[in-house]
Amino acid sequence: MLNRLRFLSMIIWVGVFGILGLSIGFASDPPPADEVGTSVSVRMYQVEGTLPVDDPNSSQWASIPGSEFKLAPQVHWPERIQEVTVKSVKVKGLHNGEEGAILVEYEDPTEDPQDAAAIEFMVGDQKAHFAHGQPMLQVEGGPVNIWFWKKENGKALDMSAKGFKTLTTQEKQDVKATGAWEGGSWKVVFSRALKTEDDKDVQIEPGEWRSVAFAFWDGAVVDGIVKEKGSQKAVSSWWSIRAEPSADNSIFGWVILGLALAAGFEFVVVRKLRKGQSA
Amino acid sequence: MKGPIASGATLLVLMFIFLKFVLPLVTAPLPASLIYLYLALTLSGIMIFGTMSASSLENLMGPIFRFLSGKGQSGVGQMARLAVLVLFPLLVGWQTYTRLAPSDLPPAENRTIHPAPPGEFVGLANPYQNNEANVNMGKGLYAAYCSPCHGANYDGKGTAAPGFNPPPANFSDPGTIAQLQESYLFWRIKKGGVGLPVEGMPWKSAMPRWEVELPDEFIWKIIMGEYDGAHQSPRTWEEED
Repeated sequence: MLNRLRFLSMIIWVGVFGILGLSIGFASDPPPADEVGTSVSVRMYQVEGTLPVDDPNSSQWASIPGSEFKLAPQVHWPERIQEVTVKSVKVKGLHNGEEGAILVEYEDPTEDPQDAAAIEFMVGDQKAHFAHGQPMLQVEGGPVNIWFWKKENGKALDMSAKGFKTLTTQEKQDVKATGAWEGGSWKVVFSRALKTEDDKDVQIEPGEWRSVAFAFWDGAVVDGIVKEKGSQKAVSSWWSIRAEPSADNSIFGWVILGLALAAGFEFVVVRKLRKGQSA
Repeated sequence: MKGPIASGATLLVLMFIFLKFVLPLVTAPLPASLIYLYLALTLSGIMIFGTMSASSLENLMGPIFRFLSGKGQSGVGQMARLAVLVLFPLLVGWQTYTRLAPSDLPPAENRTIHPAPPGEFVGLANPYQNNEANVNMGKGLYAAYCSPCHGANYDGKGTAAPGFNPPPANFSDPGTIAQLQESYLFWRIKKGGVGLPVEGMPWKSAMPRWEVELPDEFIWKIIMGEYDGAHQSPRTWEEED
């Protein structure tokens, strides 16, 4: 009898303490505040129907929240640049289960033919260095997929790289882009099918995190020279992006199961206690 | 209210106050998970103490058992029991939900900020004499190659610094180069961001691989200039002995 009581009391204490502790978030610290920008990730919101891929000024873009990332001059390898025009970028994302679209919005006081924007992704499971996936010295890194848009081309290039001077335009072009400049700021929409047949492409699976980075060039001509071109650009390092998963209603099934188990546990404990006391 | 339940509860609360508010006065704040672990250990202690004999067990658990069984209860006691019995499953349900609900937070990064260097960069001594000429040459090279990001004042606040993630190291902070040996700096400057091992993932460092552009002599002198300019000294093995 004594052992049974002891066991029962242990279970009650440990169960209650454990669940209360976890419930009030006792056992986990809040995530640390981001030191550099305000955002750490891009959320591609799920919508139904067609995406505003051809219209950077669509009201659909205005209706969703975005993320913002600071940008730095590219100093990692020559030719370096120490001051850049684009200091930060606002990023928004949408998808409809088939196609995904990413809007980048940034300040650039002049509209120039050489203005350009790019989004970079890690490809597959292998990690890559943010600077064009250049090879790491101690570990093998993976390749990157770069979506590049330039004002004068008016379209996107679907590119791959694994290290400096390896940037190539892919045989299979899957990316579209449209840019609109107004009042000192560019809005560029990149779009692509979430998944492609090309193993050089990033495959965007709703619900899964991918790594993303950004780059921008101010193509203004100063003293006859294009201000930013090639490796002279504004860059970000890796951030995270995820296409929102479809709502998962199975969660509520698990919640009901949890409720039922807890209530059943109570029922058994109280019944045993009542029996014990009447005995 | 007296008895082992009240003293146990008091002990837990005091322990929490001590861990959460008193201890950080003398040392770094404890992570919440560690506080939780210590409280769980305290609770285990109370339980072991309370279940040592039949009478102590009755003192500790008797009131709780009577409360839960609900026999002979009325008024406030009855309401409280009902509240506990209803709230407990709800908490479990809520807990299940928060655990399963899709999170908007990206996976945590476990980036090691100062990973171990490769063997060939352990324990190298600076081959250049620490004299005024060498230090000044190092400071000049630092101004040309390093200060745009790491700052003219060695504080990580160069003109190009604001957009970087991770930010350029602040050498005047006692937690950076003062904790490292000269040979470690030699490795990080020479090999840069691409020299990082797998623990340094996700490889966001924009640190250039300076071996491609600068001779070793420049790198050793830059290290001298950095320590001198930041008013720090390299960590040495002798100090630790």
